[in-house]
Amino acid sequence: MRIVIARLLFGTIAAAALSWSVAAQQPASPQVTPQDLRDGLKNPTRWLTYSGDYANHRHSPLTQITPANVNRLVAQWQFQTDTLGKFEASPLVVDGVVYVTGPLDTAWAIDARTGRQIWRYKRDLPSGLIACCGLVNRGFGVMGDRLFKTTLDAHVVAISRKTGAIEWDTAMANFKHGYSGTTAPLVVKDKVIVGVAGAEYGVRGFIDAYDAQTGKQVWRFHTTAGPEDAGHATWRGTDVKAWEHGGGSIWVPGAYDPELNLVYWGTGNAGPDYSGIEREGDNLYTASLVALDADTGKLRWHYQFTPHDIWDYDSTQMPVLADLTLNGAPQKVVLFANRNGFFYVLDRATGKLLRAKPFIETTWAKEVRADGRPMLQPNSVPSEEGTKVCPDQTGGTNWMPPSFDPSLNLFFVTARESCGIFFTWKDDYTPGDAFRGGAVQRMGETQMSALRAIDVATGARKWEFPYANQSWAGVLSTASGLVFAGSSGNLMAFDAKTGKNLWHFQTGNALYAGAITYMIDDRQYVLMPSGTALTAFALADF
Amino acid sequence: MSRSAVVRAALLAISVGLASGAAAIAQQREGGRDARPAKNPLEGNPQAISNGAAMFRNRCAGCHGPDAHGYLGPDLTAFWAAGGTDARMFDIVRYGVSGTEMIAADPTRVFDKDIWQVLAYVRTLAAVPAAAPTGDAANGERIFRANCSSCHRVDGRGGQLGPDLSRIGSARPRTGLAAKVRGTSAFIRPGYEPVTLVTRDGERLRGVRKNEDEFSIQIMDMRERLQGYLKTNLAGVTIDKQSVMPAYGPDRLADRDLDDLLRYLTTLRGAAETATR
Repeated sequence: MRIVIARLLFGTIAAAALSWSVAAQQPASPQVTPQDLRDGLKNPTRWLTYSGDYANHRHSPLTQITPANVNRLVAQWQFQTDTLGKFEASPLVVDGVVYVTGPLDTAWAIDARTGRQIWRYKRDLPSGLIACCGLVNRGFGVMGDRLFKTTLDAHVVAISRKTGAIEWDTAMANFKHGYSGTTAPLVVKDKVIVGVAGAEYGVRGFIDAYDAQTGKQVWRFHTTAGPEDAGHATWRGTDVKAWEHGGGSIWVPGAYDPELNLVYWGTGNAGPDYSGIEREGDNLYTASLVALDADTGKLRWHYQFTPHDIWDYDSTQMPVLADLTLNGAPQKVVLFANRNGFFYVLDRATGKLLRAKPFIETTWAKEVRADGRPMLQPNSVPSEEGTKVCPDQTGGTNWMPPSFDPSLNLFFVTARESCGIFFTWKDDYTPGDAFRGGAVQRMGETQMSALRAIDVATGARKWEFPYANQSWAGVLSTASGLVFAGSSGNLMAFDAKTGKNLWHFQTGNALYAGAITYMIDDRQYVLMPSGTALTAFALADF
Repeated sequence: MSRSAVVRAALLAISVGLASGAAAIAQQREGGRDARPAKNPLEGNPQAISNGAAMFRNRCAGCHGPDAHGYLGPDLTAFWAAGGTDARMFDIVRYGVSGTEMIAADPTRVFDKDIWQVLAYVRTLAAVPAAAPTGDAANGERIFRANCSSCHRVDGRGGQLGPDLSRIGSARPRTGLAAKVRGTSAFIRPGYEPVTLVTRDGERLRGVRKNEDEFSIQIMDMRERLQGYLKTNLAGVTIDKQSVMPAYGPDRLADRDLDDLLRYLTTLRGAAETATR
């Protein structure tokens, strides 16, 4: 606009008229296009998806903050939400504005330079909400001038980026039966792809695509195989309707490969969590990675990490897409650090297992066979007397997103060592009631956590930084060779090559999300959610 | 082991817990929650007993022991024989016991049915109360004032290096208290873990840990000073195995005096604090 004004003042009348006509044809503000989403972090002034790009690398090309100067990183602003609960969201950044979702279906637009609020959104939630694991949300999706989010009452909504007003609102499922929405959407072309949480309440999980313009449902993929699905024979047992309340919830976003036109999504635990008598068999497609055609939602392939899950090992972690050279040959893979304690490398065109290796101490299974099935260890099944199994139900990692540095071939993940005593009992399914079939006593003395760097070429641990407490923090890495992660409220920076801790800042509340980074006015910011605050950091002397 | 003392302690704890939780109860009932039945509707139900056994082992046994005979928390087996009712036990579980680790059961996570199933199981363990408690509480209080109150507070009097014991009679069985006095460190409350710090100058500092992260540690030292230290300024941080509480073996505290002390401690149920509310 400044250019337009300059021409008006100093140019010819004709030039000025031309400029005005061009300006009039331009949209009122820059749009986010499907190509922008495909480009990921090529434009580092923006952060447009949960993990920055469709491949979920969470690895920024920005290099202003380096291992040499990160000790000069200082807080620039802090945004306090004035709500209860906690952030588990990844903020998005579009053209100088941070868009972030908070607990209890709140959201904000915030000036990315100053932390000043632009608008606030708060959903009027109905009474009687059922959400097992925190009234949280994991972030927005964006397309055009719209933001998209799931809601605790199991809707998906489109919100105006300019005003925070609702543009469409579509119910996904009946929240009174335990369905809820917490995942960040994955926006692909003209579709908003989301799913439902609630496996602890006997939901039947699904992944849905909605038209970004109208909010109309385009396709649905059920994560428990019904009679019409190929995997239905994997549900047998005392409850012939087990698949109808068999879990498989979706509560973190997936990945997208534009060349294969496939979306990849990790699915949640089978239900009831700790009791398998009702549902003998593998229970497809729970605790799996599913590859779906982005246009139709048809299943292209699946890989089940934990067949017949009875440990609450949701596979709701980030599928990370990478192009590697394995055994001298180029290979398109998906990397997956699973809650069950194994780090997987799969062929992302076919779903074939290339390698699986524990990244923590596991006792339910020690290895995965060449045919892709884990070798279960004896005495690892929940029982009435209690059975010790490692990891406990919170897993080797969880929803907190990892990062991947392709230049170093290192995968950075918050790894959690733990064991628990797993108990089982009989639960009858009642819509809207908890449906767990047991519980776990966590064993405090077995717990530790660390930031671990995994060499994706070998699956070996390159380095680790042990934390003082069990961490729930996500990871961010940058092309300058830095990794941002943390624990105990401390946002920390590490040397990506060695794991040496270079900097930290006590944010004052626990970390349940990962940092993001963006560039504005030639200044690189690192933005970290902690508790119910966002803190933005930049170098002191820029 | 005097079971009836424990049971009485538990019963008193119920009344204390109910008094302090009355507002919460009223609120819940106004919210449309049906009043619980007076008698366990699942008593004797084999499936309920089986489910309840697993739930008990998962949620209760850590404090009350695998056989419900008490460990950190009171013995539950003599509850009914001492006059306890299903309804009272249900309310203890639902609303907790104020001032102890026995917290209220969240109704969104623990349904009434779950509580009744656990009670159906515990009822199968029911035993008769043992002999009446022994010991002289007045002498026990004198022993406490002389030996324990420099570190432990009761009804607003005493030190604060160790936990406040104003309600310890509701929280611990006599056996657990005896083991603690005699010197066990099997269980140390969070916030009271013994820690030794070594400074760069070689000075050793002892205290109890209040908090810790990757870069700092916060303690109360043996002189009850709250102190924070940067780990970069320390040569060592060790969480010790042995509690900072001295062991009172038979050489320091005769069995009879221990008996008196335990009689006193099991009477501590926070009455004074309740009265001031």
